[in-house]
Amino acid sequence: MILEVKGLTKSYKKGINAVDGISFDINEGEIFALIGPNGAGKTTTIRMIATLITPTAGEAFVNGHSIVKSPSKVREAITYLPDEAGAYKTMKGIDYLRFMAGLFSSDKAEIDKYVERAVNMCGLGNRLEEKINSYSRGMIRKLLLSRAVMNRPKLAILDEATSGLDVINALDIRKTIKRLSKEEGMSFLLSSHNMLEIEYVSDRVGIMANGHLLEVGSIGDLKEKHGAANLEEVFEKVVSV
Amino acid sequence: MRFGNMLKKELSQLLTKQAIISMFVTCGLLMMLGKTMGSTIEGIATNNDINVLCLDSSQFASDMLDKLSDYGTNVKRIDVQGFSSDTAAQTLHEKDLKVLVVIPADFSEKAESGKQADVEVYTLMSGTGLASMVDDSLASDCVSSIESYLRDNAESNIVGLTEDQSKLIRKPMLMAEFTSANGRTAKAPASELSGILMSVNMIAPMAVFFLLFMASQMIMTAISTEKIDKTLETLLSSPVSRITVLTAKMTAAVIVALLNSLTMMVGFAFYISGMTGGGTMTVNMPTGTDEVDLSGAVDVFKAMSELGISLSAGKLALVGLELFITLAIGLSVALILGAFASDAQSTQTLIMPLMFATMIPFMITMFMDVNSMPFIAKAILYIIPFTHAYTAIGNLAFGHTGVFIGGLVYQILFLAVTMFFAVRIFTTDLLFTMKLPGMSKTQAKSQN
Ligand SMILES: Nc1ncnc2c1ncn2[C@@H]1O[C@H](COP(=O)(O)OP(=O)(O)OP(=O)(O)O)[C@@H](O)[C@H]1O
Ligand SMILES: [Mg+2]
Repeated sequence: MILEVKGLTKSYKKGINAVDGISFDINEGEIFALIGPNGAGKTTTIRMIATLITPTAGEAFVNGHSIVKSPSKVREAITYLPDEAGAYKTMKGIDYLRFMAGLFSSDKAEIDKYVERAVNMCGLGNRLEEKINSYSRGMIRKLLLSRAVMNRPKLAILDEATSGLDVINALDIRKTIKRLSKEEGMSFLLSSHNMLEIEYVSDRVGIMANGHLLEVGSIGDLKEKHGAANLEEVFEKVVSV
Repeated sequence: MRFGNMLKKELSQLLTKQAIISMFVTCGLLMMLGKTMGSTIEGIATNNDINVLCLDSSQFASDMLDKLSDYGTNVKRIDVQGFSSDTAAQTLHEKDLKVLVVIPADFSEKAESGKQADVEVYTLMSGTGLASMVDDSLASDCVSSIESYLRDNAESNIVGLTEDQSKLIRKPMLMAEFTSANGRTAKAPASELSGILMSVNMIAPMAVFFLLFMASQMIMTAISTEKIDKTLETLLSSPVSRITVLTAKMTAAVIVALLNSLTMMVGFAFYISGMTGGGTMTVNMPTGTDEVDLSGAVDVFKAMSELGISLSAGKLALVGLELFITLAIGLSVALILGAFASDAQSTQTLIMPLMFATMIPFMITMFMDVNSMPFIAKAILYIIPFTHAYTAIGNLAFGHTGVFIGGLVYQILFLAVTMFFAVRIFTTDLLFTMKLPGMSKTQAKSQN
């Protein structure tokens, strides 16, 4: 098991739990997606697992390491692509990749390998030699996505992975995610509002609303259980209860 | 390696073309400012009376003092009973005089019998700041007026000149300069002493100010930019500890600030020489340099230690510690403020209080001596932790050791508090959850 979440809870203001005692697991090589309406608590859950904020209660273990007790071990095992993330504007794309690679490794050859992978994956070509402040939103997203998987982390956490990307690029990313999980055994924790994307890419989903995890299961099982034709219908039925 | 990687990135972000250009522009501006300020200060200095204590009761001396106005010197006679160079420091202090020219009792006797007469100049150095900067242009003007008077007087009396007489005409008088400080008096030209003190006492705070100003502004921008550009979360979820991120940022800020300060100081060196250049330099040798009696020449540094205004190695170490703590306070306050920033505008708003807190005491201490201010003003200034850095050298040099030590202790406490909050913010959720509207509470705490 790569991720084990046990009763994770976060309250920003006293009395209101943005995330309320949720539990789920992600197996090695699995793609798991959190879906739910705006403000459901997806980003809050993800930020706790990414060790940026500490849970009010509960625990989570990444590759066996507690996010509360040994966050630095957790950070060795994950990469995190925040929703709405940016990159250092004054850097060239290629320098950004090199800088980020340098945070994950001290070995020159390894850093070069990471950068090479990212360069091949992001599809930005010559534009990597330009400063990031000349990039479009989608270009930055592709740069950040390739950064998030370049070192083959045990668990890649992508919050709204393909937001801002056009259909072709989004499709390309989905294929890449699927390939990395099937061929290289990488695990993913995703969040998305795009049901088509989730249905295509994920092995299992968790449906959240108001800080609660209402359903967890494979898409096939959930469709059967709710007698729905697709994930969108499942979502509608679960959330509107 | 990871630290190096971080540091390289931070440096490349801070050392932009604009930053380097602005360094040089500021440097040039300072040079020009020094020149203009220099000429204004010279202008102000000349329209005052000079205090003269005449111990010579003869008609000759009294005639001479009356005639000095013809030579451009307005004399104000001062009366002191039983004056001697040993009690000079008290006299200056009691009479609230900065400069006193003393005509010795045997002045007319020597002058009239064709000998070189003496004049003594006493100067009180009370503290630091431009306002208490020694201005002996008045005294030197007075001395050269007396000289001119004696020369004219000699020429009108003498028909055929002997060699001694012609020498006397060229140099009718010797001037002895004394300086008082810390209740003691030493034989040394005040202009030289104050020149040295000025350079230590103004250049050091100036360097501290630049360093503090730049470093804190940079560290704040370094933090707030990561928040605004949404790069902070990515960075802090990578396997590099928050402490490493912070130390890299602070080191880069200090390095770049040092570079900045260095170029500033070059500008400031010109600023100071432009400001004090002409005035003080000529005072040391009021008459032709060829005939100066070198037996009166003094080791200025010996005089400084006699007066207790030189800094021992121990005191210098204390000053170093003081400056280090000041910089640490500046950085930790900037860290806290930077963490509140959520956009460019709030960064600007947040940076203001810090800028004022570093700039205002710097400006004030540059022109005034904090210790001679009214209690309330003094208290307000000393509550600002940065003031202690600007007054450190002056306080140690002029015997306000208690004020210095108290300031140091206060700063250490202040640093402990700001560090506590900075670390708390950066190691907890606060970094991501704090925003400007909630500022009042946390900031009020961190400022006490
Ligand atoms: N820094 C914060 N301070 C206070 N409350 C917060 C903060 N961040 C999030 N919240 C609250 O926590 C709840 C969950 O927010 P979260 O961002 O996790 O939702 P989400 O599922 O990611 O939504 P979206 O689909 O819009 O991204 C919301 O009610 C939100 O207002
Ligand atoms: Mg979200």
